Amino acid sequence: MEGLADSRILIPARTKSRRTQAAIEQGIKAFFGGNALVAVIVLALITIFLFREGFGFFGQNLANLRLYRQAGLEYVDIIRATAAQHEALSRKLSEIRLRQVRVMEKRNAPLDEINAALASFDQFASAFSDTAENLHGLVSDLTEQASGLKERLFARAELLAQRSQLEQNGEHDAAAKIVLPEIDRKSAFDSLHQGAATFESVSAEMTAKLYNLLATAPPLPDPGGQKAFEQWKTQTREYLAGLPAASEKLRSWSPDTAIPWYRSISSFLFGREWVTASFWQDWYGIVPLLVGSVMVSLVALLIAVPLGVASAIYVSEVASRHEKRLIKPYIEFISAIPSVVLGFFGIAVVGQAVRAASQSSFFKWVSFFPISERLNIFTAGCLLALMAVPTIFTLAEDALRNVPRGFKEASYAMGANRLQTIARVIVPASLSGIVSAILLGLGRVIGETMVVLLCAGNRIAIPDFTQGLGTIFQPVHTMTGIIAQEMGEVVRGSTHYRALFMVGLVLFTITLGINYLAQKFVARFRMSIG
Amino acid sequence: MVTVLEMPEITSPITVNQPATAPIPEVERGIIEIESVDFAYGTNKVLHDISLNIPPRSVTAFIGPSGCGKTTLLRCLNRMNDLIDGAGITRGSIKIEGLDINAPHLDVVDLRRRVGMVFQKSNPFPKSIYDNVAYGLRIAGITKRTLIDEAVEKSLRSAALWDEVKDRLHVSGYGLSGGQQQRLCIARALAVEPEIVLMDEPCSALDPIATAKVEELIRQLKEQYTIVIVTHNMQQAGRCSDVTAFFYLGRLIEFDRTTKIFSNPAQRQTEEYITGRFG
Repeated sequence: MEGLADSRILIPARTKSRRTQAAIEQGIKAFFGGNALVAVIVLALITIFLFREGFGFFGQNLANLRLYRQAGLEYVDIIRATAAQHEALSRKLSEIRLRQVRVMEKRNAPLDEINAALASFDQFASAFSDTAENLHGLVSDLTEQASGLKERLFARAELLAQRSQLEQNGEHDAAAKIVLPEIDRKSAFDSLHQGAATFESVSAEMTAKLYNLLATAPPLPDPGGQKAFEQWKTQTREYLAGLPAASEKLRSWSPDTAIPWYRSISSFLFGREWVTASFWQDWYGIVPLLVGSVMVSLVALLIAVPLGVASAIYVSEVASRHEKRLIKPYIEFISAIPSVVLGFFGIAVVGQAVRAASQSSFFKWVSFFPISERLNIFTAGCLLALMAVPTIFTLAEDALRNVPRGFKEASYAMGANRLQTIARVIVPASLSGIVSAILLGLGRVIGETMVVLLCAGNRIAIPDFTQGLGTIFQPVHTMTGIIAQEMGEVVRGSTHYRALFMVGLVLFTITLGINYLAQKFVARFRMSIG
Repeated sequence: MVTVLEMPEITSPITVNQPATAPIPEVERGIIEIESVDFAYGTNKVLHDISLNIPPRSVTAFIGPSGCGKTTLLRCLNRMNDLIDGAGITRGSIKIEGLDINAPHLDVVDLRRRVGMVFQKSNPFPKSIYDNVAYGLRIAGITKRTLIDEAVEKSLRSAALWDEVKDRLHVSGYGLSGGQQQRLCIARALAVEPEIVLMDEPCSALDPIATAKVEELIRQLKEQYTIVIVTHNMQQAGRCSDVTAFFYLGRLIEFDRTTKIFSNPAQRQTEEYITGRFG
């Protein structure tokens, strides 16, 4: 008995009954399971919410597009496009002039002489822009008409919605009180359609004037300028040849042609314009934002991948223990900097420095320097790279460190030096791990908001890729930036609001895809190192 | 006390180095001459005054309980311990064919090419069988395809693996069985035509049949190479080595012909270890 009592001191006997024991175990299980469940439910709710709010966009956007046609805005835009083309040609003329002036300045010609040499050209240019006077007049007349019609149609649709809302609520009396204004669309369109005839006479007049003008075009002193001028002339002739097609389009246009449902999707996915809160027509095309995000991320990766991977290789393979202790936490520390602080730094230091560098005489040979915008793709890319480096570094270093020691030893034992071992054994063995590190870095970069909002310049336009490398010094707007910027201002439930949710969905899909790919690569990495 | 043995099978005589304090004898040269070597990992001294001469074209086995320093000594022979921070020889010298391998001007790349190594755990690279064997040649700067082809076939034949893999040279080395992988590693080591091959418990992860094949291979290879093998397996040391060194607690206890060690060891500790009374 004594011996038994002693052993009970070491391991106390079970005082709780089997039932309490089971209840405790159940409780523990429920606690952990409950936590997991909450996480899953929250995630599901977010996803469902995103989809619900987002998909309403297509219906509303379709209505938006239909209104565009029904109110005749589309009709006016056909004429507006020809006017815009004319303006673009005008701008090109001034570009040609600017180039001429630069060439002559290089020869140290005095300003008076330059102006004298270009006098006939200037005359030509102003005569050219004058030819479109009637066209612009027509556009502004029709614009007024169409936007008036649109307003009336829109107000009517609002009232209609209000009435059906009231009827749904059972308030039939109140519903009956709402009087729908009659809109005489026929007469409205008749007056709009007269625009076609006016356009024809205006364009015929303009064509005749321009052909005369082209025939009397003055020569330019510089052969390069002359070449550009000749190019411009062919472009003008093409423009003039296209005018009858525009007037044909006007004749065949009808406000009642149906807009197919898929236009709502395609105008979002392939739309090249994102215009909101416009007096004329809102466009929700994701392409400029997508291109902006992709360009910024690409620049960021181009900078971050060499930095991150190379420093990971250095730390895991070359650095002494002391260096490792210093470098590793230091790089990982970068990720602790709040992105808004990085954004400040980007505006105040990086952007400023890049612009100052572009203005220095040292970089005079670069064709696209000096740059005018301090905030651009490059500035944002540099800072995003800073955010991606810790991610890429940490994960790549992990992958490199996980390469079995045996590979390294076998390589050294064969007489390989350090560089050969790194290049031929360690990096190939950890390649899929490194790729997944890069992908996760990309995921981090493409979802980053604050830095791009502050540093990308926020101009909603597809950058002009004809500038080659200079493209990366143009401002852009990004998908994340637009959501952050506009979400606070939109009316809940409006088309704009839903469009922002759709942008969020696209972003979500992209990051999901990137993470999926990264996981695939991790799985491959695990297999390759056995 | 030191005795010079008569060794009819082996051309150079072998010294038996009695515990640490014994003086270094005048002996004929082995291919590897280890002279009163001390080795430490940082402040932790693991080898004490080791002296022995390893005869050429023979198999030398290092035996002893775990942690006795036999692997450390093996890794000294091609300076693999350089990869470990703070580890190094603190006294004594190791000469291979008369050249001090720890001399400051010595080209360690060249040394490792002459002293190949096979590891305890088979470690083929995640590359094809062909690329594994060709690795040593390629890093040595050989690019001529016909030369590499020839060398790959020759070393795979030497490692008795050619017939098993000749139809799938370009599939991953990971597709092979454990024993085949270890022979692939031997072929990889042989491809650069070393003079000495170090083997660190090459059969510890293999089944008996694969072990028998590797042992058979070791017996064949000693025609051309000097082999030093670390093993925990007494039978293995008995079966395939010509001379055996027994280590205990970082000291060389006995070094003699294998037949002598296994039949009539001079030291009591050796006898107790071999008969399984400790270790």
